[in-house]
Amino acid sequence: MLGYAVRRIGGAAAVLLIMSAVVYVLFYLMPSDPAQLVCGIKSCTPDRLALISHSLGLDEPLYLQYWHFLSGLVAGRDFSMGPSVVHCAAPCLGYSYQYTEPVLQMILDRLPVSGSLVVGAAILWLAFGIGIGVLSALRRGRWVDHAVNALVLGGLAVPIFITGLLALLVFCVSLEWLPFPTWVPFDENPLLWAQNLILPWIVLALTTMPVYVRMSRAGMLETLAEDHIRTARAYGLPERQVIGRHALRGALSPLITLAALDIAGILTSSVLTESVFGLPGIGQLTVQAVRNVDLPVVVGLVLLIGTVIVVCNTIADLLYAAVDKRVSVS
Amino acid sequence: MFTGRFRTDRAAVFGAVVAGLLVLLAILAPVLTALEGQDIASFHNDLVDSARGGVPIGSLGGISGQHWLGVEPQTGRDLFARVAQGAQISLLVAVCATMVQVFLGVVVGLAAGLGGKWLDTVLTRLADISLAFPVIIFSLALLTIVPDSFPRPLLLALVIGVLGWGGTARISRAQTLSLRTRDFVAAARLSGAGGFRIARREILPGLAAPVITYAALLLPSNVITEAALSFLGVGVRPPTSSWGQMLSTATTWFRSDVMYVLIPAFMVFLTVLSFTLMGEGVRVALDPRTTRLTRKAG
Amino acid sequence: MTWRRPSLLVAGVLLAGTATACGGGGQSTATAFDPNNCQGGTLEILNQDDAGSHLDPARLYTSGGGNIPSLLFRTLTTRTRKAGADGAKVAPDLATDTGQPNADATVWTYHLRDGLKFEDGTPITSADVKYGIERGFAAELPGGAPYLHDWLVNAQNYPGPYKDPNGIPAIETPDAKTIVFHLNSPHGDFPYLATATQFAPVPKALDKGADYEKHPISSGPYKIETYDKGKSVVLVRNTNWSRAVDPNRLACPDRIEGTYGLDQAVINQRLSTGTGKDADAVTTDTDLGPSELAQLDNNPELAKRVAKGGFPYTYYIAFDNTKAPFDNPKVRQAFSYAIDRTSVVNAAGGSSLAYPATTFLPDNKTMGYQPFDYFPAGRNGDPAKAKQLLAEAGFPDGITVTLAHRSADFNQDGPKVATAVQDAYKKAGITVKLQSIETDSYSTTVDNPATQPQMALQGWGADWPSGGPFIVPIFDGRQYLAGGGNFNTAHFNDPKVNAEIDEINKITDPAQAAQRWGQLDAEIMKQSPAVLLFHTTQLRLYGKNVKNAFVSDWTGVYDLSQVSVK
Repeated sequence: MLGYAVRRIGGAAAVLLIMSAVVYVLFYLMPSDPAQLVCGIKSCTPDRLALISHSLGLDEPLYLQYWHFLSGLVAGRDFSMGPSVVHCAAPCLGYSYQYTEPVLQMILDRLPVSGSLVVGAAILWLAFGIGIGVLSALRRGRWVDHAVNALVLGGLAVPIFITGLLALLVFCVSLEWLPFPTWVPFDENPLLWAQNLILPWIVLALTTMPVYVRMSRAGMLETLAEDHIRTARAYGLPERQVIGRHALRGALSPLITLAALDIAGILTSSVLTESVFGLPGIGQLTVQAVRNVDLPVVVGLVLLIGTVIVVCNTIADLLYAAVDKRVSVS
Repeated sequence: MFTGRFRTDRAAVFGAVVAGLLVLLAILAPVLTALEGQDIASFHNDLVDSARGGVPIGSLGGISGQHWLGVEPQTGRDLFARVAQGAQISLLVAVCATMVQVFLGVVVGLAAGLGGKWLDTVLTRLADISLAFPVIIFSLALLTIVPDSFPRPLLLALVIGVLGWGGTARISRAQTLSLRTRDFVAAARLSGAGGFRIARREILPGLAAPVITYAALLLPSNVITEAALSFLGVGVRPPTSSWGQMLSTATTWFRSDVMYVLIPAFMVFLTVLSFTLMGEGVRVALDPRTTRLTRKAG
Repeated sequence: MTWRRPSLLVAGVLLAGTATACGGGGQSTATAFDPNNCQGGTLEILNQDDAGSHLDPARLYTSGGGNIPSLLFRTLTTRTRKAGADGAKVAPDLATDTGQPNADATVWTYHLRDGLKFEDGTPITSADVKYGIERGFAAELPGGAPYLHDWLVNAQNYPGPYKDPNGIPAIETPDAKTIVFHLNSPHGDFPYLATATQFAPVPKALDKGADYEKHPISSGPYKIETYDKGKSVVLVRNTNWSRAVDPNRLACPDRIEGTYGLDQAVINQRLSTGTGKDADAVTTDTDLGPSELAQLDNNPELAKRVAKGGFPYTYYIAFDNTKAPFDNPKVRQAFSYAIDRTSVVNAAGGSSLAYPATTFLPDNKTMGYQPFDYFPAGRNGDPAKAKQLLAEAGFPDGITVTLAHRSADFNQDGPKVATAVQDAYKKAGITVKLQSIETDSYSTTVDNPATQPQMALQGWGADWPSGGPFIVPIFDGRQYLAGGGNFNTAHFNDPKVNAEIDEINKITDPAQAAQRWGQLDAEIMKQSPAVLLFHTTQLRLYGKNVKNAFVSDWTGVYDLSQVSVK
């Protein structure tokens, strides 16, 4: 087990290193020049451009730039900005010349928005997803089950940006029940925070839910067919206790793995949700950085997201291996 | 057996019929537009109210006998022609992307399944990672750094395809592993066939069923990915129209021209739904036990 | 060059909302604005972006010092804070007058007012102004306008005060109140240039280079209380400023709170609904879009709260006049006759947001606008005349050309206008192929003669409301730069035009210069060096309680230093 873990973590580290090199080279080899963007249009002369390029370190060979980037991750790095020097503390993901701010700081600043969005929505989709899935399993073959099945299929066919647009159209434009969502920090006004987020929460939850409905329905059906449930029933335990205490537990454990592996899906959905509702989270930062061709931010974000995913994957694998072992031992 | 099972699945048949109509719409787009008496590029200044920002004159976004789906705000261009071209782009990109995914996935899956242990480990690991990566976020980043002179639909298909081969690879590998222990493969090997020949003649046909099933479900998810990327502004470039791009401009026209939002939204919904129903039908008909592996893209 | 996020519109949530909104104070008739009794309250600013515009006087490229910056940075001169054409004139700010030129306008002398202080109470000296200008030369602080580089004697290669603390010899400060500029050629427009934020004083002791923008030292009516870049800013009164030392800014609100990072639609919706604090809100970067105009018709109350203005701007099609087929005047004329400006105006937002251009100068008196139309195309183009000219030029069967445009529509040089041009030319037998160039490299592709496309959509705005910065970079043959950064995309070089430019530059009376610029515009356009498309107009909402929101011909938007929320 230990050997496996070491190999797995080593492998993940290698993947991260290769990924960072590929991403870095790919993005910085491209024709668009960050110095040009900083230099401006009317104000730029070739001499000035060269000066800016130099002060940003963009005239160095690519491998050296990458090396500075890597060492910045470990030890932090300094950016010369006129008489003063801006220190970007480790782990330094880079420095945005357009925002004159370290990339990591920009991401952290936007974390509360994306966090609020995802956590709120997750509560909804888990509660309703599991609830509806279980209900559907218990009413297997009846009209409830069929209706749920149809809704799940329909739900899978509506992309989140359409659900979001329609929700805005109905609730903010036609019915005027809600204001157009604007970000209000929780510590400023919890009530407004929730009022502004309710629509994004529902929309994100609706899109993520169908998979959870399916999984919990399938899990529930499988568990219900198992021996210990039949035994429990045979002993005359009340149905509520059979379901609530025994069946549910067995049915839901695969969902935890699903949730861990579904990070990519959730990230994608939240990017789209944020851009539909104009919420200033990490997703919107990504879209903005891409539009402004703010390369340090794009590279930083891509690498950070990649890292999160590789790390989560590795943890999921290790957990799975640990569980697997226990199973084989017993 | 396949057709029999598929035919009894009413939802799947419905999906197949609608999907077929959408394909027809895409193929016949120029013909249908000509039949309508319009073309895709002509501006109609008399059909929009210039002082009011160019909202289409008339109710429901200017729907009329001349313009079946009304006209585009500001320009007065025919919306039916643009929607039909959107169908072309949407299906073309989705189909090509699926082909790239299937090709890469099968090649990697075969190599992993038939190659040595080391190769298998590396490729499986890669496939896992590719499966876990958010395609839309990565394509968003990738699409911005490619110059505009590169043909956009091809680029979209390539990016979506190259980033999304993990699932097919996984399935192909599993199937290859189970096939390689079968008798007929062993017999071929004994008769002195090489690895490449075995892969092509003995294993590949066996991969068809699971890979087709999976591809049928990948297709609608690729439709969503294309629409999402266009919505985020990195899809095909105007004047070529696509549904996602229409949606992203339409968002400002909610109040003054609601049809301009509803039409492309409905088209995306219909396409994804019909192809999903058809894909599910294929899955059930080919192998009722396959578990759904596609993840929703958006 | 800022990106507008795709926006979700506005919704006229307000339409029903206004009727039932709890109006604080009922339907009291608005009292007339009184500049002597306007102080108090908190002004809210709702903006999309902060990025791109650095809050550092060296890095701002905004005509007349922008809106928020002008509350913090006083400059030697400033724009007159008046409505319409009067507002396009220069007024003294830190200086006692708009500048004293020598006989040929190559030496300009300014004297500072008495009693000027920074926010910390330190007196402002001419050395602080000189230092501020020198900072603008530093490569570490890019973004400012290039004029000072080009105009000051021997300053082209000055690397900024961090690398060369000796400063620029062409700027003299004989005493703490006097500053003298030595120019390498006559520039009657110098007082306009002196409105730029580079002319704001910066105390050397407190300069932190690129970090200076986190808390720039104010010389204006407000100072920064908190500033969170890209998200928010809070300005409070600068107690070392008073109206006694600043005749231009009224500075009515006691406090100004800015929120950045909002969606365009959200901003317009909040301004129109105006609940709570939003009644005291304005925006400095969000116009009404075409899709939002229909609501104004339905809501007279809202229509009253729209400020309409024109920031001088011209959109045109650029091509190289020295290359075939555009070296033939008949081809150039044919392209001017053929253009359907109705389609193009519609693509740019319709007749409320744009108007057809037949002159290079926008309809702005201060700039010297004189109406003319040498190639009358009517509302929808004159394809017959164009065809005839093309045939005479040797293209009886039509002609095929390539038009480059920016890949996205956040300016009016994107695919929307390009497709309108394409469609407009079809009738005249001109086949236009579109070439989309990605946003970040569009300008550098077009302004480098080595990569310049056959035709390209171009927009040009004035750095100050005078014919000089509008016409000179585009049509002065000596401004042609073969190595890139070239705005003379026509490769236009007429010795008579060049000589007239030199003559006008010597004129120090703006009214006299304006008339000559207008005549020069006509002389140039007779040669059809470009196809003129349209000029733009801006419509901008303000909150219910906001008073005195008027627009000048300089900025095209209302002025924060004049509005009141009391």
